[in-house]
Amino acid sequence: MRALVRLTAWLYAIAIYGFIFLPVVVLVLFSLQATSFPIPPFTGPSLRWYQAVLSDARLTSALVNSLLVAVLSSLASVTLGFLSAWGFARFVLPGSAFLRGLITLPLTVSYLIIGMGLLVLFNWAGVPKSLVAAGIGHVVINLPLCFAIIYSQMGDHQINIERAARDLGAAEWKVLLMITVPVMAPAIFAGFFLSMTFSWDEFVISFLLTRFETTLPVEIWNLLRSGLNPKTNAVGSLVFAVSIVLVVFFELTLLRRKPA
Amino acid sequence: MTTTARNPLSNLKSHLSAACAGAALLMAAGSAQAADLNALIWCDHSDPALLEPFEKANDVKVNVKEFEGTGAGLAIVDQSQPGDWDVMVIDSIDVPRGVEKGLFEPLPEDKLPFADLFPEVKMDKSTIVDGKRYGITEKFGYNTIGFNKTKVDPADMQSLTSLTSDKYKGKVAIYDYYLPVIGMAALAIGKKTADLTEADLPALKAELLKMKANAKLVGEVTASQTALATGEVDILVGGGEWVTAGLAKENPALDFSIPKEGAVLWSQSLAMFKDSKNKDMALKFIQYILSPEGQARLATSSCYWGMPANTKAALTDEQKKILRFDEQPGFLARAQAYPAPNADLDKKMQDMWTEMLQAQ
Amino acid sequence: MSVSGSNSRALPWALVTPALAWTCAFFVLPFIAMGFSSLTAHEGGGFTIANYSQFFTDPSYWRAMVNSLEVTGTVTVISILLAYPFAWILAEMVPERWQRLALILAVLPFWTSYVVRSYSWLLVLAQNGVVNRALIGTGLIAEPLQLANTRLATVTGFVHFFVMLLTLTIFANLKQLSPSYRKAAADLGAGPVRTFLHVVLPLTLPGIMVGAFLTFVLCIGDYITPQILGGNNELVMPQLVMMQIGRRGDFPLASALSIILMAVVTIAYLACARWLKIERA
Repeated sequence: MRALVRLTAWLYAIAIYGFIFLPVVVLVLFSLQATSFPIPPFTGPSLRWYQAVLSDARLTSALVNSLLVAVLSSLASVTLGFLSAWGFARFVLPGSAFLRGLITLPLTVSYLIIGMGLLVLFNWAGVPKSLVAAGIGHVVINLPLCFAIIYSQMGDHQINIERAARDLGAAEWKVLLMITVPVMAPAIFAGFFLSMTFSWDEFVISFLLTRFETTLPVEIWNLLRSGLNPKTNAVGSLVFAVSIVLVVFFELTLLRRKPA
Repeated sequence: MTTTARNPLSNLKSHLSAACAGAALLMAAGSAQAADLNALIWCDHSDPALLEPFEKANDVKVNVKEFEGTGAGLAIVDQSQPGDWDVMVIDSIDVPRGVEKGLFEPLPEDKLPFADLFPEVKMDKSTIVDGKRYGITEKFGYNTIGFNKTKVDPADMQSLTSLTSDKYKGKVAIYDYYLPVIGMAALAIGKKTADLTEADLPALKAELLKMKANAKLVGEVTASQTALATGEVDILVGGGEWVTAGLAKENPALDFSIPKEGAVLWSQSLAMFKDSKNKDMALKFIQYILSPEGQARLATSSCYWGMPANTKAALTDEQKKILRFDEQPGFLARAQAYPAPNADLDKKMQDMWTEMLQAQ
Repeated sequence: MSVSGSNSRALPWALVTPALAWTCAFFVLPFIAMGFSSLTAHEGGGFTIANYSQFFTDPSYWRAMVNSLEVTGTVTVISILLAYPFAWILAEMVPERWQRLALILAVLPFWTSYVVRSYSWLLVLAQNGVVNRALIGTGLIAEPLQLANTRLATVTGFVHFFVMLLTLTIFANLKQLSPSYRKAAADLGAGPVRTFLHVVLPLTLPGIMVGAFLTFVLCIGDYITPQILGGNNELVMPQLVMMQIGRRGDFPLASALSIILMAVVTIAYLACARWLKIERA
C-alpha cells in the first residue's frame, strides 16, 4: 500500500514535470526546423533560423534595449525600495502603515491597468512614448516588490548591529553603507534579480508606452504577428538560454552566500 | 552596416558597444533626431529588405511605427506633436479623413509615377480632395476567400454562400478585421459596400453570425494564416493573395478566388504630413516605394504579399504568377471598395464585430 | 526602535519620500487621470457616463467580464489542485539535497519569454501539433481534436504558468512548517489524513491564498495568452481594453473598462487581504 502511494506520487511528479517542459521542448526542437513551419514533421536540424535572428537588426537592438531598461529600472527600483524600507523599519513615522500600504499597492494591480494609466497620463501631459516611459512603468511595478522583500528581511538583530556602530560614533551615511547595505545584501540582490526578471519579460507596459525603439517582448510580438515562423522559436530559445545562464550565475555567485 | 548585416556576431557586438553609451542614449530615445524619417506604417513596410536599400542610398534612418486601422493610426497622430511624423500608410479610402483633420500635404503629381499605376486603384475619388492629390496608392489586393484547393471543392469557392453552408462547418477561419469582413457580408446579402448605412446593420449582423457559427476561429494575420497553412481550417474568410502568396512556396495547395458576388478591394496609400520637418526626404521615400524596385520589394514583403500598384513593378515571372498579376483586370472589374463608414457608423460596426466575436 | 537626535526628523522622510513620490506621480496620478478620462466622450471630449453605461448595457461587453471571471476562476482552482500535491512531493519526498535542484527544474520554463510561452502552446496544441500527433499515433483518437483556438487552450497556457508559480509559494510554505507540529499531531493519535486536514492544510493556507491571489491578479489582467491561444472565439476584458486602443484609439472607453477591471481585482484583494500582509521577520 505504502509502495503504491509512493509510486503514484512519483508518477504524478513526472507527469507534472512533463507538462511543465512540454512547450519548452517543442519550442527548442522546432527552432532547429529546416523548413518554414515550426510544426511536425521535424525537418532539421538546421541553424538557419538562429542565423536569421542574429542578423535581424530590429531584434538585436530590441534585445539591447530590453537589457538597458531591465538593468536601469531595476537599479532605480532597488534603490528607492531599499531607502524606503530602511526608513520605515528604523524610524517611527506618522501614518506608517498607510504609507507602506501605498508603496505596495501597485503589486495588487494588473500591469495592463498600470500601463493604461501611464498612457493616459503621458498622453495628457504631452510626454512622448519612449523607452524611458516604459522604464518608468517598470519601476512602478518593481519598486513595491523590492520594498516588500527588503522590508520583510529587516530584523531586530540588524538594528542592534547598526546601533552598535552608531554608538561607536559612525555617521549615519557610514552606518548605511558599511553596515546596513552589506547585511541586507541578500535581500537587495533578490529584489534586484526579481526586478530584472520581471522587467526583462514585461510586455504590455512596453507595448503601450514605447514608439520606435522598443523592448524584446514587443519585438517578438511584432514578429509573431507577421506569421508562423521558426524564427520566433529561435529567438524564444535564445532568450531562454540567456536567462538560464543568468539564473545559474546568480544562483552560484550571489544567492548562495548566506549571511552569517 | 553593409557588412554587419551579414555577420550576426559583429552585428550583435556593435549593438552592445552602442549600449555602453546606454543611459544617455536612452534619455534621447524619446525624441527622434531630425535626420530620421518617421513613418507610420503597416507591417509590410517594416521589412528590412524594403527599408535598408533606401536607408543606405540616402544615409537616413527610417523609424517605423506599426498600427492597424485608420482609427488607431489617426489616434497615434493625435497623441503626437506636430512634426513628429513624415509619412503615413493609410487605407486609400480614408485619405479624406486625414485631409479633413488638416494633416496631409498635397503630393507633386509630376514627381510621382501616376501614369504607371493600375487605373482602377488610383482611387481619385478619395485620394483627390478639392482638386489636390493627397495620397498615392502603393499596394492593393482583395479580401475574399482564401482556401486549400486540395481540401475543398474549388467550384464552391466561386460563391459566398459556401461560407455559411453546413458543408464547411468547422472548416472556416475568419480574418479578424471588421471592415473587409463586413464588406464581404454586404456582398453576400447583395449590398454595395460603398452604400452601407445603419439600416443595413441587422442584416449584416445576421450574416456575420452565420459565418461565425461555421467558424473555428477568428484570427489576426498570424493565427488565420497558421490555421490555413497547418490544415486547422480549409477556408479563410477575408483571405486573399496577401495570405496565400507568401505561403505559396511552403504550401502550393493554398489559393484564393474572387467569387461571383465579388470581393472587397483593399488599397493602401502613402501620404505626406503637412507638418513634416523633412519633406524632401519624405518625397524621396514615397518615390522609392513607388519605383519598380521598391514596388517589387513591398509587394513581396515578409509580413504579407500584395499586388503592387505600379504596373512596372520589377517582379520576377514566378512572383507575378503567384500574385496572378495577369488576371488583375478581370479581378478588379468585380471588386468593390472597402467600406468607409463615418465615425458614428464605424463605432457601431465595431460593436457589431465585438458581438460577433462573443457569440457562442 | 526609533532613533532620537537632531536629524531624526529629516532623515526618515528623506529616505521614504522618493519612493512615495514615485508611487504618487506614476501610480496614483495616472489612476486619477484615467478616472477623468473615463468620464469623457471619445469624440468631442465632454463629460459623459456613456463609457460605463456601454459596459453595463451591452451584453457583448459585460460578457467579456463573465468570460474573464470564468477563465480566471477555472485557472486558479486547477492550478492549486495540480500544484499542491506537486509541491508536497518536492518538499516531503525528494531528498533534502536534491530539493533545490528539483525546485529549480520545476520553475525553469519561467525564463522562457512570456510572449513565446503562449506561442509554444499553440504549436503543441495545433491540429498537426505534438499532442494530436501523439494521440493519433497511439490510436486513442482517429481524428485530430480541436485543442488550439479554444478556451481550453487559453486555460492550458495559463495553468502551465501558474502551476509553476503556485508550486513555488506552496513549497516555501510547506518548508516553513516545523516537523514538530506533525509529530505532535501524530503523538496525539491523529492519522495522516487528519493531520493533513487539521494541521498541515490550515498552516499552509496563507501560502495558498497568496498564490491564489497572485494567480487571480496576473491571470485576469493578461492579454497575451487569450489573444494567442483563444482564437478570438470569445473575448476577455484585457482583449476588449486593447481593442479600444488598437482599433479606435478610444482612451476614454479603454479607461472605463480598466477601472471596472480594477474594481473587480480590488474586491478579490479585500477578500484575501488578511493573508497578504507584508510583515518584518
